[in-house]
Amino acid sequence: MNTHTSNDLYRPTKIFFYSSLVWLVVGMLYGLILALKFIWPNFLVWGPLQVYLQFGRIRPIHTNVLLFGWLSMANIGALFYVIPKLCRNQLAFPKLAVYLAYAWNFIIIAGSIALTLGYTTVAEYAEWPLWIDILVVLGVVNLSLICFTTIAQRKEKQLYVSLWYFMGSLIWLPGLYIIGNLPYKLLSGVPQFLIFWFYGHNVIGLWFTTVGVGLIYYLLPYLSKNPLYSHRLSLIGFWTIATFYVWNGPHHLQNGPIPLWLMKAGIIPSVLLIIPVWAVLANVFGTMKGKWHVVAHNTPLKFLVSGSIFYLITCLQGPFQSLQGPSSIVKFTDWVPGHAHLPVFGAFSYVAFAMMYYAIPKITYQNIFSVKLMETHFWFSTIGLLLFTFSTWTAGVFEGFAWIEGAQYGLQFVEMLIAMRPFFYIRAVGGILMFVAQIFFIVNLYKTIRLSKKSQNTSESTA
Amino acid sequence: MGSFANERSMLTYVVGASVLFIIGVFGTAYLPFYDDQMQVPNENAELRNYALDSAEYQGREVYIREGCHVCHTMFVRPVLADSALGPISQPADYYYEAPAMLGSKRTGADLMWVGNRWNADWHREHLKNPQKILPGSIMPRYDYLSDEDLEALVAYLMSLKPSPQTEGRPVNN
Repeated sequence: MNTHTSNDLYRPTKIFFYSSLVWLVVGMLYGLILALKFIWPNFLVWGPLQVYLQFGRIRPIHTNVLLFGWLSMANIGALFYVIPKLCRNQLAFPKLAVYLAYAWNFIIIAGSIALTLGYTTVAEYAEWPLWIDILVVLGVVNLSLICFTTIAQRKEKQLYVSLWYFMGSLIWLPGLYIIGNLPYKLLSGVPQFLIFWFYGHNVIGLWFTTVGVGLIYYLLPYLSKNPLYSHRLSLIGFWTIATFYVWNGPHHLQNGPIPLWLMKAGIIPSVLLIIPVWAVLANVFGTMKGKWHVVAHNTPLKFLVSGSIFYLITCLQGPFQSLQGPSSIVKFTDWVPGHAHLPVFGAFSYVAFAMMYYAIPKITYQNIFSVKLMETHFWFSTIGLLLFTFSTWTAGVFEGFAWIEGAQYGLQFVEMLIAMRPFFYIRAVGGILMFVAQIFFIVNLYKTIRLSKKSQNTSESTA
Repeated sequence: MGSFANERSMLTYVVGASVLFIIGVFGTAYLPFYDDQMQVPNENAELRNYALDSAEYQGREVYIREGCHVCHTMFVRPVLADSALGPISQPADYYYEAPAMLGSKRTGADLMWVGNRWNADWHREHLKNPQKILPGSIMPRYDYLSDEDLEALVAYLMSLKPSPQTEGRPVNN
């Protein structure tokens, strides 16, 4: 048994994938509690829970667990599977990769405990205390070392598009993380807030987006059985993301206390980001040409194509809301969480779902347990997400206009909140659907893994 | 069509990705430290530069610990939606603010100048039971805070006022 597992090439991928599923449930449970607290502020206010499940303390736990526990771990598991495939060799330092998986889990647990106890650095998506940040940086450097060594020792000469995106992400993530988590007592004021948002925006743009796009480019040709439409287009996409994305931080201070040159420096690249998004989408549509009928019968492909479309919508919304006019209405409102859930859940979690449905049968030598459950997962997720986003976008616009009409604090502000209640209900229903969908996902994968273990045991005993 | 030869070299991507990243960091994260407008304190900044042993400083630590910044911004913009909130925020107001808490979401109202709006008793009662003061509010109760923490938090909130100099700041700047 022991010798069997230590020879398992996919062990790092498996540990990362399986842990990410646990964090998916934990993170979404926190999200659900947040959504319900919008309707019943005293939901679960009971004994010590009043303190440890207090809204201000658990919102960062929700975001950090889902960004770094679920999506990052799913992405790293995918990198450890895809990079060796594209390089036609084995993963370098497999033991280190396994330790990294355990260390990463420890980081998420420690970070969540620290936040529960009220230790926070305030910076959004970088709330963990400094000592945990140092562990994260060490982990990320190890991750880059493993991946770059694997690529350097490759047996396949050509570097496929996905590998460019992965290399970019693995260079940007350590840089971003270090700059974003500089000890806050060293810096102060608006320049520091700009650094917070340099990090906050780019951790989505230069880590989740770029790994996700790399995975789209890897999976799409396999799932649609068409070659990638245009190599050149993906080249344009890569270099424009690399050029424009890092400039996006300042648009989080639109209409704010920053000099005009900086506002322009933030908004122009935000608008230019339409170029790389369009390059990716043109490539997706080009590759899908003549294969659209396959989507109906292939759930992983359905996730992948829907994820790409959600990515497009997010990236059309982004430049729009970075403009001065729209920003003056939707900024600070519930529009913002609606917008934020679109890339993280709609686009890149969908890509991760597709990746797992594609890779888990390959690493466990067992077909997915139930296609029906897979379909249910897709529809519950999608309907839930659409309810969530449309209710928050609508609420956000109403809130923005209510503020313009003077409901900016006190009783009028609360009256506005009461008027928004129907939208908060719809948002909670959407959240529940999204959560239930993930239960189907996990049950399905659990059954698949169980079946594979059973068949391995029987084949071993007969041998 | 010779371009495909380049795609065999990792170096192009590693160097290109690093250089473009560094340029972006320089422009949006580093240069602002050298902008004159961003690097001067004003009277508001001085008012918010609390001594380490003051109640206000302690209150600010409670504010951070309880995550108040998650739902409240401190960021008044020159737009209609912020017109009733008081003087528009200037970079100089935040000079000593570490960590900076301008915020990103207004689930509750903006608190930039909240000390001007209500008195200490109102804040105390509201923190203990927000629904009693503002029926329908979705703010959690902070009745679990120790007396010391509660008083410190009230002192901090009351300190969030514009300096007399700022009161006359033009609304459209």
